[in-house]
Amino acid sequence: MTITSAPVTGEATKTWSGRSMPRKEDGRLVQGQGAFVDDGGMHGQGYAWFVRSPYAHARIVSIDCGPALAMEGVYAVLTGEEAKAMCEAPFFAIAPPPGSLMQEWPLAVGKVRYQGDAVAVVLADTRETARDAAERVVVDYEPLPAVTDGVAAAEPTTPLLYDEAGTNVAWHGVYDYGDVDWALENADHVVKLDRLHFHRFTSSPLECNGAVVNFNRGTGVVDVLSNYQMPMFAAMVVGPTIGVPMNKFNFVTKDIGGAFGIKIGFYPQIAALALLSKKAGRPAKWTEFRTEHMLSAGHGNERTFLDIEVPVMSDGTILGLKARAFDDAGAYLHYEPLGAVIWSQVVPGCYKLKHVRVDYTEVVTNKCPVVPNRGYSRMQHLWLVERIVDVVAHELGLDAVEVRKRNYVQPEDYPYETPNGCIYDSGDLPRSLDLALELAHVDEWRARQRELGTGSGRRIGIGIGSTLDSGTNNFGQSRIINPELPFSGNGEAAFAKLDLFGEINVNLGTTPQGQGHETTAAQVAADILGVTPEDVTVSTGFNQANNSYVGFSGTYASQFAVSGLGAVMGAAQKLRHQIVKLAAFALQAEEEEIELEGGTARVRGDEERAIPFIGLANMVYTNNAGLPASLLSECDLNARYVYVPPFEVPDTVAKTGNLTLTYASQVHVCVIEVDEETGEVKVLEYAAVDDCGKRINPLVVEGQVHGATGLGIAASLYESLDYDESGQLQEPSFYEYHVGTAMDIPDVACGDIESPSPFTPNGAKGMGEGGGAPLHAVCAALQDALGGGGAVVSESHNHWARVYELVHREPGAPRGVEVITRSGGLANDAASL
Amino acid sequence: MLLEQVEYVRPQSLDEALEILANDDGAAPLAGGQSLTNVLKNRVASVDVLVDISALGDLAGITRTADGGLSIGACVTYDELDRSAEVRQSHWMLGEVAAHIEDQQIRNKGTIGGNCCLSDPTNNLPPILVALDAVMELRSRSGRRSVEAADFFKGYFATALEPGELLVSITVPQMPERSGAGYASLAVGADAKAMVRAAARVTLDRDHATIVDSRVVLARVAHVPTRDAEAEARLNGADATDDAVRAACAGVADGMQPITDVHGSSEYRRQMAKVMARRAVDQAIAAARGGRNGSSAGGN
Ligand SMILES: Cc1cc2nc3c(=O)[nH]c(=O)nc-3n(C[C@H](O)[C@H](O)[C@H](O)COP(=O)(O)OP(=O)(O)OC[C@H]3O[C@@H](n4cnc5c(N)ncnc54)[C@H](O)[C@@H]3O)c2cc1C
Repeated sequence: MTITSAPVTGEATKTWSGRSMPRKEDGRLVQGQGAFVDDGGMHGQGYAWFVRSPYAHARIVSIDCGPALAMEGVYAVLTGEEAKAMCEAPFFAIAPPPGSLMQEWPLAVGKVRYQGDAVAVVLADTRETARDAAERVVVDYEPLPAVTDGVAAAEPTTPLLYDEAGTNVAWHGVYDYGDVDWALENADHVVKLDRLHFHRFTSSPLECNGAVVNFNRGTGVVDVLSNYQMPMFAAMVVGPTIGVPMNKFNFVTKDIGGAFGIKIGFYPQIAALALLSKKAGRPAKWTEFRTEHMLSAGHGNERTFLDIEVPVMSDGTILGLKARAFDDAGAYLHYEPLGAVIWSQVVPGCYKLKHVRVDYTEVVTNKCPVVPNRGYSRMQHLWLVERIVDVVAHELGLDAVEVRKRNYVQPEDYPYETPNGCIYDSGDLPRSLDLALELAHVDEWRARQRELGTGSGRRIGIGIGSTLDSGTNNFGQSRIINPELPFSGNGEAAFAKLDLFGEINVNLGTTPQGQGHETTAAQVAADILGVTPEDVTVSTGFNQANNSYVGFSGTYASQFAVSGLGAVMGAAQKLRHQIVKLAAFALQAEEEEIELEGGTARVRGDEERAIPFIGLANMVYTNNAGLPASLLSECDLNARYVYVPPFEVPDTVAKTGNLTLTYASQVHVCVIEVDEETGEVKVLEYAAVDDCGKRINPLVVEGQVHGATGLGIAASLYESLDYDESGQLQEPSFYEYHVGTAMDIPDVACGDIESPSPFTPNGAKGMGEGGGAPLHAVCAALQDALGGGGAVVSESHNHWARVYELVHREPGAPRGVEVITRSGGLANDAASL
Repeated sequence: MLLEQVEYVRPQSLDEALEILANDDGAAPLAGGQSLTNVLKNRVASVDVLVDISALGDLAGITRTADGGLSIGACVTYDELDRSAEVRQSHWMLGEVAAHIEDQQIRNKGTIGGNCCLSDPTNNLPPILVALDAVMELRSRSGRRSVEAADFFKGYFATALEPGELLVSITVPQMPERSGAGYASLAVGADAKAMVRAAARVTLDRDHATIVDSRVVLARVAHVPTRDAEAEARLNGADATDDAVRAACAGVADGMQPITDVHGSSEYRRQMAKVMARRAVDQAIAAARGGRNGSSAGGN
C-alpha cells in the first residue's frame, strides 16, 4: 500500500491544528519502546491460563482440579461454581427481560455455551506450567445440541441456551418510521429481496487481550493493568459483580496494539482474574494466545435480513425500506443488545429514505459472543442499505451513480433530520462521489470494461460504497433497548497542567490504539498555549487513580476528535486563562494585553515586558509568598475540563432522538477484476473520500482511512468466521483465517472534502471506524461484474467459491429478487412524497 | 511449557543420528522446525527426543549428478533452492516454487526434506517433485533405499518412511530436451494455503507442436499429490494448442473426491483442479518452447 498524500491545508492557517505532521508516538512505538500489556507485571505475580470448553453446548457434569493442583508450581485453580460463590451478582444486564435472564458469570456455571467458553482458570509460577496444568483440569461434559443459525435460533422448537429465559431471543423491537405500508402500496415499483446476510469476522488486533490483576485482600484495592479500551465500562460491569466499589478499582492502560472495539469484550476475564488473584493471594497475569483470541475474544455481529421490500419511484427515488433483521449475538450478551439500537444512528444511510420499518430480533446462539467491531452495528445496516440501492439500480436498469446521487441527502439539506430524529450535521455526498469516481479513473475503467466484452474469461466490475461514520454517541439510546437504564449523553475529560519548570502536560482519559492521540492533542493544546506540539507532553492511557476520567472515558465509537479534543481544548483554554491572569499580575498589564508565544507570556507591542512560563510556574509552586489570595485560588495551573456534547434523552416509545453528534461520510469506489474460471477477485483500483469535517491532522486521518479500507476489503474477500453444525469454529487460527496483509490490499487513493461540523468545538467529526464502505463497494463491484439479470450479491463475504457460483449461476435458478411494477402509482411525482 | 518436556540432541554425524533414531521410537528428526515446533506447540503430537539434523553435512548442499540431474540434500532450505544457480539452470520451476513458500523467515529455515516428510497436503514442494520424477533417497541404520516421489507420499501426514529412517537427499533427474514445467495454485489471499494446485511437466516434439510426454499432478484434491494418468494419456500425442490442452484437462479429477471446507465445496475444488491443471500444462508448454526447462510465470 502506498500513501497518496492529500494536499495539506493547515500550513496556510499558521496553526498546528490542521497540519499533516508525523505522529509523536511513532518513534518509540517503532523502536520497540512501547509499553504493551505483556511488557508489564506486578511483584509476585502468577500466570493464568483459562480452561476452555471444546464443546459448543454441554452440561458441565464435574470438574476435577486435583491433578492440576498436584503439579509443582501450581498456585490455584478457580472453577465457575467457586467464582460464582465469590460474586455478589451476575454481570449487569443491558437488556430487559428476557435478555436479562441470560445471566453471565466470570466463568461458565453449570453449562458451557460456546466452543472456547471458560470453565476454570489456573494460576501457576510460569505461563508454561499454567498451560500444562490447565490440560490436567479434568472436565466431564455432557454434550447438548448446538444452536448455530441466527434465524432458526428464534424458532420456538430450537433448543435453548438459557432454560431460565425460555427463549433464545434476547431482544426484539420494531423500528417504524414514516408509513412504509403506504409507500409500498403507492410506489411505482416494489423491489423485493428474500435474504441478505452479513457475515461474522473480526479485526485481528496485532496484540491479543491481556491483563495483570491484583486483588489486595488487605486494602480491598483491585489493580488492573490491561489493554482494555473502555475501562470504565469494565469497571462498571465487574465492580458490582465481584463487590468492589469504584474508588477501590485502579484500572490502568498503556499502549494498546490495536483494539477495534474487540477490546471492549473481555471484562469476564478481568473479573475471573480478580477472583483468582483474591483466592491465590497474588497478582494474576494473563496474555491471550491467538487461537484463544479467535475462539473467545469476541467476533463482529452477524446479521441476516429477511423479506426486504423497497418502494421505488420510476425516476429512481427510493421511498424507504422494510425488513426483518436477525442479529446473532453468540452465547453471551457482552455489550449486546446495544447493537440492536446502535444501527439506528444511520437508519436511512446516506439517503433521504422516509419510510422505514425494521423488525429487529437479537438472538443468542452457541457461538463466540459478539462484541463491538469497527463500524459496530451501523456497518451491517449500511451494507443492507447499500445493497438495496445497488440492487434497485440493477433491477430497474438505472445508473448506479445516478440512483445514489438522486437519493443522497443533498448539501443544502444539512442539518438534515432523519426519520428517527437523528441530525446529520454536514456533508457533500454528491461531490464526494464525483471525486471518488475521478480518483478511481472510473471513466477509463468503463471503457476497458466495454472493450473486454464477453468471452475473455475476465470481467471488470465497478462499485460504490457510501457510508456514514456516526461519532460521539448519545448513550441515552440505550434506553430504547431498556428504558430502565440510567444512561444518557456522553463526555470526556482532560487535564492540562503547567509544571514546575514551565513544562506543559496534557492528561487524557482516552486509550488510543493507533489513533495518534498524543499528536493531535499536542497540536490543539499548542495552538491555545502558544507553544509547539513538541513542548506538550501528552499522557494518554487510562489511569483511574491519576488521570481525569468520566464514565464514558475510553477510545471507541469514533469520537476522539470531538469529545477527546473538546476536553483537551477546554482544559488548555482554562490553563491559558490562568497563565494570562498570572502574567497580567506579574507584568502589571491588562489581561487583554497578554499574548502567549514560544512559551513566554508578553505584553502585546512591548518587547521588554515578558515572562517565561517557568517564571509563572515558579510564582505558583515554589515562590508564592505575597501572591494575592484571589490569584492563588484561581490559578493552581492544574486545569480539568469535561467536554459534554449537547444531547437530550431520546423518546424510548417512538424510538426517536438525536443518537449521535457527528456524521462523517465515506464514499469509496472500487474496481475489481473477476476471473470467471475460478471466481478469484482482484482489486484493480481503489479510491476513498472521507469527509470528517475539519481535520486536525490529515495524515492521521488518512492512516485511519487506510486501516479501515484494508480491514473492509479483507473482510469482504478473505476473512470469515464460520461454525459447523456442531458449533466448531472452522477458522480458529491464521492457518484457516487469512488476515489481509500488505500483499493483499491495493494502493488506496485518498481524497478529502472538509465539511466542518456546526455542532463541535473544532468543526471536526469523529472518524476512524468508517462505515464498512469497502464491503459495500466490493459487493457493488461484484454486482456490476455480474451484470443486469445476473445473480444477486446477497452475502457480505464473497470468497472465490461463492463468486464462482454467482458467475456460473444456472440460467433460470432463483435469484432471490423480484420487482413488482404497478401502473398508475404516484406517476413519478416523487417530489411530493 | 510452551512445548511439553522434550529432549534435544544434535548428532555430529549421519550415522549417529540414525543410531539415535533407531534406538528410541520417541525420537523425531528436527529439520527446519517450521512445522514440527508448531505441531508440538499446539500439542497435536508429542515427541520425546528432538534429533536436530539441520547441520549435518550429509544432508546439505545441491550437487549436479553425472547424468545432468540434481542431488538435493534433505536439509537444503527453500531459500537455498530459490537462489541456487544450479537449480535455476536445469529445473527453474523448482526454484520458483520454493521462492513462493510463505515468507522469507520460513524460507530461511524450512527444508525440502521437512516439506516432504511432513506430507502436509498443502505443502508446495511435493507436487512439483512428483511431476519432475524425483526420487527420495532414504537411509536407516540398517541400509539405504530409493523411493520414487510418486510412491513416497502415502497419506495425510504420512509417508513411506519407516521408523528410524531418514530422508537424506532427493534426486531430480535431468529433464528431457524440449521439456518445461508449470505450477498453478488457487489460494484465498496472497501467500495463503492453497485450496487446490497442480504441477505439470511436458516434453514436446522437435517442432514444438505435439506433446510427447507429460505429467499432471494434482494436490489437495486427494490427501497426497496424485498423478492424473488419464489426463496424461490424453495429453501424450495431443497438439500443444490451447484447445487440445483444454480438452485433455476437461476430465481432470473426475472420479476423485476432493474435500469440502469453508473455502469451497468438493465440486468447486474438482472444477478448480481442471483449471489449475490446464494452467500448469499451458505454462509447461510455454516453458518448453522457451527452451528454459522452466517458466517465467507461475510457481505460486
Ligand atoms: C506460518 C507457516 C505457514 C506455512 N505455510 C506453508 C505453505 O503454504 N506451504 C508449504 O509448503 N509449507 C508451509 N509451511 C511449512 C514449512 O514449509 C515447513 O518448513 C515444512 O512443512 C517442514 O519443513 P521443516 O524443514 O521446517 O521441517 P520440520 O518442521 O523440522 O519437520 C517436519 C516433519 O518432517 C520430519 N522430518 C524433517 N526432516 C526429515 C528428514 N530429513 N527425514 C525424515 N523426517 C524428517 C520431522 O520429524 C517432522 O515430522 C508453513 C510454515 C509456517 C510456520
